[in-house]
Amino acid sequence: MLLELLHLADSALPVGSAAHSFGLETLVEEGTLDCASIGPFLREYLAEAGALEAQFVRRAWRGDDPQTLSDEFGARRPARESREAALKLGRRLARLVNALLHAPAIAENLCYPVAFGIAAARMNIAEEEAGLAYLSQSVAGLVSACQRLMPIGQVEASCLIWDLRPFIAQAVRASGMEEIRCFTPLPELASARHPMLETRLFIS
Amino acid sequence: MRVNAQQPPWRVIRAFPGADGSCLVHLHNVSGGVLAGDRLSLAMDVERDCRVQVTTAGATRLYRHREGSRPSEQTTKISVAEGGLLEYLPDALIPFAGSRHSQHTAITLANDATLFWWETLAPGRQAMGEVFGFNTLRIRTELQSPSRPLLLENFALEPAQRLLSSAARLGPYTHMANFYACRVGMPAATWRELESALNQFCCAHSRPGVTIWGATTLVADGIAVRGLSVSARELPATLTSCWKIARRFLTGEEAIPPRKVY
Repeated sequence: MLLELLHLADSALPVGSAAHSFGLETLVEEGTLDCASIGPFLREYLAEAGALEAQFVRRAWRGDDPQTLSDEFGARRPARESREAALKLGRRLARLVNALLHAPAIAENLCYPVAFGIAAARMNIAEEEAGLAYLSQSVAGLVSACQRLMPIGQVEASCLIWDLRPFIAQAVRASGMEEIRCFTPLPELASARHPMLETRLFIS
Repeated sequence: MRVNAQQPPWRVIRAFPGADGSCLVHLHNVSGGVLAGDRLSLAMDVERDCRVQVTTAGATRLYRHREGSRPSEQTTKISVAEGGLLEYLPDALIPFAGSRHSQHTAITLANDATLFWWETLAPGRQAMGEVFGFNTLRIRTELQSPSRPLLLENFALEPAQRLLSSAARLGPYTHMANFYACRVGMPAATWRELESALNQFCCAHSRPGVTIWGATTLVADGIAVRGLSVSARELPATLTSCWKIARRFLTGEEAIPPRKVY
């Protein structure tokens, strides 16, 4: 299953994630986030939002009702742009996986972590590895967004992602617990304020 | 208004009749605050076509935990029936240093039910130098329409365990305010229009590093406005203005601030 896992975890998977910053653009624009603080930010973000999203990957992988899960995820993501981004990525992933597997494996109206969990299950990727792949890809996407917003070089970006490995693993372990708590008011508010930025590089 | 049951420390003091046929209810905690081991429960049912405004007489103070006691708990269950309107406008929650508290709020809205609700959270008694000196503050919130969950929140603040000043959480801010305006069955385009109007206002009243505000459409049937600030003084006026904008937009009526001592 290694090839399937590598394919699904690829940050260049054509689902459109490069168009989204999930509120990071606002945080950078308002001076809350800079090159020095991005590493610590991502570590804490993984402990909160990362663990929450990985739990939705797990529950989808285990076969929980996809629509109920997707609705629940939407209610836990109050910021419209970030929520809509998750739905757009989910739709693109569903189309891609359905094309790859030559079967209607995933409905096209699910948010990204739910679609990802189903895709991983259909590809016989283990539950824990699905969570790791999801967060690894998410972190790569966020760091890539930061590279376009701040002067971060390729090597520095790669080091950032590399150093986050234990925090990704920790978030996936935490996501296995029954109840996940998530407290990210500043990134959520940044996402809510994103439509009001004068110049925007990203959709979210 | 009908009070089915009440037990200390909760007291529904009285109902003031409103000019529009609604009533304003003051809810007091006569003990002066929430003590370790307290288990408070509040249930409100707003019946069909009823219009109610509920507020508190002052901030909810969460007192220091006492060893050997359970963490204090507050459970609030609210339902708003078809055509009903509830304005739930409590004062701030202030967790004192050393407090341990858990709060669960569940609100169920029927079709065509309307809700205006705000909540504010302080970091402690700031004037005494208490900023995030509490042990734990756990908050669970569920807002449901007949067809789907509109808002689900579940978080635990443990300042000694998880750094609240991380940009992934509160960043430089210490005070938090949330305002929700919901009306079940309104089309999505209506909410986008209100989001835009509120965001214009929020933008004009934001100063990054001091206070920031933002409005965002919920997954359906409502909108959330959030504010973060370094000071309690920055929040109430903007919160009230957002309520007035949303009230006028959704009901065509002016918002009437609760009758109480400010």
